Amino acid sequence: MALVHRLLNGAYIFRHCPKPSASCPFLGTRFAYYCSSSLQKPEAAPGKTSCQRNSEGDLQGHHQREVALDITSPEEKPEVSFDKAIKDEIKDHFRRLKDDIVNHWIGPEGRPLHEVLLEQAKVVWQFRGKEDLDKWVVTSDKTIGGRSEVFLKMGKNNQSALLYGTLSSEAPKDGESGCSGYCAMISRIPRGPFERKRAYDWSQFNTLYLRVRGDGRPWMVNIREDTDIIQRKNQMYSYFMFTRGGPYWQEVKIPFSKFFFSNQGRIRDAQYQLLLDKISSIGFTLADKVDGPFFLEIDFIGVFTDPAHTEEFAYENSPELNPRLFK
Amino acid sequence: MKPAILITITSTVVLGTMIVLFSSHWFMIWVGFEMNMLAIIPILMKKYNPRAMEASTKYFLTQATASMLLMLSIIINLLCSGHWTVSTIPNPVASTMITIALTMKLGLSPFHFWVPEVTQGISLSSGMILLTWQKIAPLSILYQISPSVNSNLLLMMAITSMLVGGWGGLNQTQLRKILAYSSITHMGWMAAIMVYNPTLAILNLTIYIMMTLGTFMLFMHSSSTTTLSLSYTWNKFPLMAPLILMLMLSLGGLPPLSGFIPKWMIIQELTKNDMIIMPTLMAITALLNLYFYTRLTYTTALTMFPATNNMKMKWQFETTKKTTLLAPLIVTSTMLLPLTPMLAALD
Repeated sequence: MALVHRLLNGAYIFRHCPKPSASCPFLGTRFAYYCSSSLQKPEAAPGKTSCQRNSEGDLQGHHQREVALDITSPEEKPEVSFDKAIKDEIKDHFRRLKDDIVNHWIGPEGRPLHEVLLEQAKVVWQFRGKEDLDKWVVTSDKTIGGRSEVFLKMGKNNQSALLYGTLSSEAPKDGESGCSGYCAMISRIPRGPFERKRAYDWSQFNTLYLRVRGDGRPWMVNIREDTDIIQRKNQMYSYFMFTRGGPYWQEVKIPFSKFFFSNQGRIRDAQYQLLLDKISSIGFTLADKVDGPFFLEIDFIGVFTDPAHTEEFAYENSPELNPRLFK
Repeated sequence: MKPAILITITSTVVLGTMIVLFSSHWFMIWVGFEMNMLAIIPILMKKYNPRAMEASTKYFLTQATASMLLMLSIIINLLCSGHWTVSTIPNPVASTMITIALTMKLGLSPFHFWVPEVTQGISLSSGMILLTWQKIAPLSILYQISPSVNSNLLLMMAITSMLVGGWGGLNQTQLRKILAYSSITHMGWMAAIMVYNPTLAILNLTIYIMMTLGTFMLFMHSSSTTTLSLSYTWNKFPLMAPLILMLMLSLGGLPPLSGFIPKWMIIQELTKNDMIIMPTLMAITALLNLYFYTRLTYTTALTMFPATNNMKMKWQFETTKKTTLLAPLIVTSTMLLPLTPMLAALD
């Protein structure tokens, strides 16, 4: 208790502090006194919110230092500067270009070559903060008029991501859709400086590794290759992921040789091997025609090399179905 | 592919190039280019998968654009000179456009973007044909029109190609892309000397083709498409490791290997023409290429990367792959330097 009191009075130096809001119920009148006194100080720079960094251990800090509490003054309106936003965006792109050039000099993916070649396992996506969620997009059949809902948020203790929602297979009443009911989570395509498309090179790995916790529903893992041709956006490689449900985490290992090819949502007779040198995105789709709530908790998604797995491609093409392939 | 179809397509590719080589009529040259391009498409799509189709589409689009540009420049030349014969091109617009069309077909900078993408999307055997045989026809035309080519444009393209080829290949782990960037750089060297001594460009092309064919054949023999798979060569085919070492260093232009011949002769010719900065820049940019060749050599022959087994060498079954031309190609790619004094006749 004494420690809390000390922290409240000693460690936080603030400037533009409004009257205490609901977010800080623990602070008493002393905080309010400091807040009101700071508002009277003429040197306080306008347009800055009060919430940001913590200046540690300085009781007599300058009034222009910022508060650690996440409070925005209602009297101050954030300045929206179009020019500044554009300048910041351009600077960011040039900074990324500079990093790109430096990383290109160091080696593949910005690391020395021997490190890349000797790597046998790699975590590609993990969920440890809100910025990790920004790399994903969630979608459902709501875009075509359906009733499914899907959300993505951080799990407990910021150690996983929780994809949850409600699946509804009720077809949209638009006169042309016969069926519906899907929810998906797709990774964003990695972009470089000036929004250049990038791709993942997983050619030295042969298995996909997922640590998930589901509710017993079957999911589909979809991988898309990088493509510049428009029609190829409909092509993807898929495989099933059956979740167990229950409180224990599940480690799913799917060899890349098992992924089958589909175009426009239909599995094709002509099957092709998934080439791993230009992977664009990965996605999880739920479309099991079972209405109701669902959830999928994901810890991380990685790739690794399984030396015992020597299969190159699990499916073969039939000369009867695809004579063109055997000409 | 059925043998009859393969023979037809291959002979069309060869015929198209021969027509370009032996014609003195601009229209026939254009026809030869078109035949060659259309016949190579099924060869690029030999492995029928979406990536190969995308690569073939990209190749077709760029080559068709270059052919359109070539036809337009031929017509402009016809309007200005009044004849279809391949000779000096009086009109600067026509000669510039022909240069641009041919450099687009060759994959010189700034029209090089298709080369790594197409090479990466096709099989090793198709890539071998793309990076060797397909260079002959455009270079032969450049050879014929070299007196009327815009030298500044060609030299700029040459130096940017060398820079792009060296820089782009730096952190590649895919072998086909490495060879694609190597091709861009070598085309740059050929373009640089084309204005001053076209015969040296042909010599460079000959030695480049021998080295690239040998490299591709070695990769096909071990079915290696990535640096990592090449680093297991010591375990699978120990004899290949020193061969790859020699070929890579020859591609990099190190003496006493054959790859040094064109670099030496080109730099000598450029300095004879009172150029100092250009050959210095070229020699420096060659170091970029040498860096990634040496890195390949390091991972293949100079270190033993951890393999998937605990044996000194994997059990070898009798290979069914034909290596008929491999031995003579490796010999010619590595041991021709002592014959260089004979090339003094080129002066």
